[in-house]
Amino acid sequence: MKSFVSISALALAVALGVAPLAVAAPLNDPKDALKKTDSAATAPADAGPAETGPGDADPVDAVADAEQDDDPDTDVNRAQPDFTIVGLPTTLRLARHKSAFRMTHRFGRPLGEGSLTNLAEDFFGFDSGANIGFEYRYGLFKSTQIAVHRTNNRTIQFLLQRQVKGQDDTFPLSIDVFGSAEGTNNFRDSYSPGLGVVVSREFTDRAAVYAQPFWVNNTNPLPGELVDDNNSVMLGLGARVRLTASVYGVFEVTPRVNGYDPGDHQMSFGIEKRAGGHNFQINFSNAFGTTFGQMARGGNDDWYIGFNLSRKFY
Amino acid sequence: MRHLRLLACVLPVTAMLAGCDENLSDLTGPTPNLAPNFASIQKEIFSTQDSSGRQSCIQCHTSVGRTPAAGLNLVEGASFAALVGRPSVQKSGETLVIPGDPDNSYLVKKLEGATGIAGLRMPRNNGPFLTEGQMLVIRRWIKEGAANN
Repeated sequence: MKSFVSISALALAVALGVAPLAVAAPLNDPKDALKKTDSAATAPADAGPAETGPGDADPVDAVADAEQDDDPDTDVNRAQPDFTIVGLPTTLRLARHKSAFRMTHRFGRPLGEGSLTNLAEDFFGFDSGANIGFEYRYGLFKSTQIAVHRTNNRTIQFLLQRQVKGQDDTFPLSIDVFGSAEGTNNFRDSYSPGLGVVVSREFTDRAAVYAQPFWVNNTNPLPGELVDDNNSVMLGLGARVRLTASVYGVFEVTPRVNGYDPGDHQMSFGIEKRAGGHNFQINFSNAFGTTFGQMARGGNDDWYIGFNLSRKFY
Repeated sequence: MRHLRLLACVLPVTAMLAGCDENLSDLTGPTPNLAPNFASIQKEIFSTQDSSGRQSCIQCHTSVGRTPAAGLNLVEGASFAALVGRPSVQKSGETLVIPGDPDNSYLVKKLEGATGIAGLRMPRNNGPFLTEGQMLVIRRWIKEGAANN
């Protein structure tokens, strides 16, 4: 109960902090509708840092820009503004030879611990140590992206994701497949490969829902000789709903449906603000996992604050 | 076709990495060759002292030149029959090794110093005791049926 009160108070504070942005956001809103095929002078400020000034008239750059402008993958997808929900992947495509960066923090102080005053003194958990992740993502080919994600416990995860089918007028879903491999000790020990599918459905530009079955091997931290289950089959479920022009609510849960499943299923929710090519997300989770193997190890009864910051380089 | 090519790249990598689990030897510390089978436990735990200074069990639990402590003979060749499914001499109602049930096996309770044991935690003289990793191996052997393997 105490935990719920703390989270509610914090969510309210965040919402209040976001509110002025939300009021201002409609001013930017019509710009989202503009495509980058417009001239540089009318390039949408909310669509990322793709602006070019009048002085940048290099013909080679102009050709490259024109090719880039033709790629719909560089347009803002208002239903899926980011490559992850909280920790789970989305079906947002990354344009070929473009990239993105993401930083994750999951702070270690349980929100239900101590009084509300005590929580405020710890700045709602931000004073505590955190599980920190850095991620770089690159568009290898059209519809194919790779990512590397490192957390500060020296786990490195590589991800290869490809869109098999995109949602359009003839097909109601987007379907991505992905393969991942993570290893501890800077990818020197204890490898956990994974395979999965991400299925999403966008509802106009207001929301997107996700279902993603995936399998991860070597999820049990003990050696295989000592355990019954060393694999986890999970069914990630998530949603992102656009609340105002550029403010979103996000939710995801990752139940382990088979195999190694200690603790509680990882669950997260949050609120985020898109600003140009950036996404700022405050989230609340019952676990610290940001890689698939970490998610398989589950969470506990406590809730923790965290954030994601992401940036698209296009 | 391109999807298949991608799959053809991903699957072998996945299969290769799936075989790269944690090393058991990283967990078992002073007995890096310890494995969850009876022959290994006999050799690495019962019969041999290890680099931590832990004494071997057969210093006291032997019939060679003496009466085995607590009536338990852990000398190779006699130990399996003395342990698996056998009642404890020291504490009535307890069974030394219950196949499939490490938590209720008295051998585990004695080695971990569980509350309610009769006498001292083993090895006696206040350790060094078995490490957590070594105990996980013994527990695993019991959980898998305590076979004479």
